[in-house]
Amino acid sequence: MKRDTSYLLRKNTGKVLVTLVLTALLLAQLFPLLWLFSYSIKKSGDLFGPELLSFPAVPQWGNYYKAFFDGKIPLYLSNTLKIVIPSVTLGTILPFCLAYACTRMEWKLKKLVWLLVIIGMTIPIHTTLLPNFIWYRFFHLIDSHLGLIISYMAFTMSFNTIVFAGLLAGIPKSMEESAFIDGAGYHVILPQIIAPMAVTGFATVGVQTFLNHWNEFLMANTYLSSEAKRTLPFSIILFSGQYVSDYAVQFACMTLVALPPLVLYFVFNRWILAGVTAGAVKG
Amino acid sequence: MNPLFTNKKVIALLVLPGLCIMLFAIAIPLLISLGLSLTKFAGFGKMTFIGLDNFFRLALDQTFWKSLYNVFVLILVTIFFQNVLAFLIASILTKITEKTSRILRTIYFIPAILSLVVVTKLWVNIFHPTFGLLNKLLHFMGFADSGRAWLGDPKTALWAVIWIMIWQGFGWALLFFYGGLMTVPKELEEAAIVDGANKWHLYTNVILPYMMPVLQSIIIIDVVSSLKQMEMIYLSTEGGPGNTTQFIALYLYQRAFKYTEYGYGNAISVLFVIIAVFFTLTIQRMFKKAVDQI
Repeated sequence: MKRDTSYLLRKNTGKVLVTLVLTALLLAQLFPLLWLFSYSIKKSGDLFGPELLSFPAVPQWGNYYKAFFDGKIPLYLSNTLKIVIPSVTLGTILPFCLAYACTRMEWKLKKLVWLLVIIGMTIPIHTTLLPNFIWYRFFHLIDSHLGLIISYMAFTMSFNTIVFAGLLAGIPKSMEESAFIDGAGYHVILPQIIAPMAVTGFATVGVQTFLNHWNEFLMANTYLSSEAKRTLPFSIILFSGQYVSDYAVQFACMTLVALPPLVLYFVFNRWILAGVTAGAVKG
Repeated sequence: MNPLFTNKKVIALLVLPGLCIMLFAIAIPLLISLGLSLTKFAGFGKMTFIGLDNFFRLALDQTFWKSLYNVFVLILVTIFFQNVLAFLIASILTKITEKTSRILRTIYFIPAILSLVVVTKLWVNIFHPTFGLLNKLLHFMGFADSGRAWLGDPKTALWAVIWIMIWQGFGWALLFFYGGLMTVPKELEEAAIVDGANKWHLYTNVILPYMMPVLQSIIIIDVVSSLKQMEMIYLSTEGGPGNTTQFIALYLYQRAFKYTEYGYGNAISVLFVIIAVFFTLTIQRMFKKAVDQI
């Protein structure tokens, strides 16, 4: 009898401890975001009060209106879309093609190209910023959206190719062979037979590439010099410079910029999480 | 061999677009970088060939060594704090009901999907000396005296910056470990328990060795992403106060674009690539040895 209670006690302490740890982590991850939101609907003067978290009786939704227009969000948003739509589309399709050729076809330079893909993973973006600043000038790619599209695609190419390769390696070769016997060429086999089998890959790679390119700041900051071409993160930068005392609006702007990826995440989180997990296992 | 899989025209069509983009935006710039690292050049005007002088200067550059030291601190914190915590939480998540586990995983990953700019600016505000959340929290708990400008104080700046990186990076580590734990076959675990292994032995002798390949990729990702850290510092402390939060990627950026020393900046770039590739290969080799021994 005594033994049973001590066992139960131990089991319960364990349970309480686990719940405590999980909750503490939950708070550490969510509280800052809640705090961000609470500040975004206050008056700037109210931020200096002593309370940790409070929501105002009269939410200042006007902050969002101000953030949207003073932060030039319509302009920056359309710039970001102009870059992200082609870079994500091609940045998903090209690695698929590359991965296909590297896993399922036989050619002489295959090993060398695969090595380049692997090395591409380890190259830090920062090391190309400088030389590209000179190299891109020859092609008028500095201060142009095309230059960013190319760079964005290049830097997600390796990872995406590796994810697709892991997926494609598992498909039996008889898939193509039987289609070939039926008289189909590659222009039919790839989009109509192989691509549908890799549909999970397209979803995870597509969403991850989108998040990467959407949130990118460093290259945009380096290559884009004219105000009119800048991308979404710059609206926040604009506020911390120009309207430095208008804190609440700054918080509203941060919330606005964070929102689209968050919405996308909640819609597609199954794909994103599966993609990350697959990435870890494949290495 | 089926001729279908050796069709040269098809191979070229599939490989060339992706490959050319990588060559154009990564490989050629790296070669240019190598060339420029041997010169003194301000980005315009005269370019003088000075051989290895930039690298000699780098060897004596204290800020460079400081920035490398900070990267090491970050790598150690990531491996021994972030990873251990992530592993513990991940193993808890495999033991609770699937529904709760999924909800928690979804929430824990939220910081990882937010834009770097948002995350950094958010934490700059939390660390803000007058209206920041952290000082308010300390005040609330009765430690008002320990309040400070967390990012402006040389004693705390590095830890504050590392905290921001861990806060955002934790979700990735957690999911990687969770994915790794899911690959461990249930039978293996059950067999170990039948053989009388306790929890500690189960994890150190059975589960961890099984997860070696996953652990290898996690550590490589940790090291490479630590080396790559830059935007966060650029947007918060700019390496200050007094280079206490200088990181190699930021230092290279500042040398090039703030002080327009293209030659010197490129020398840092070249060394940076060498360090990154060297670390990746070394870790791979270490793991190969470890796996062979098991």
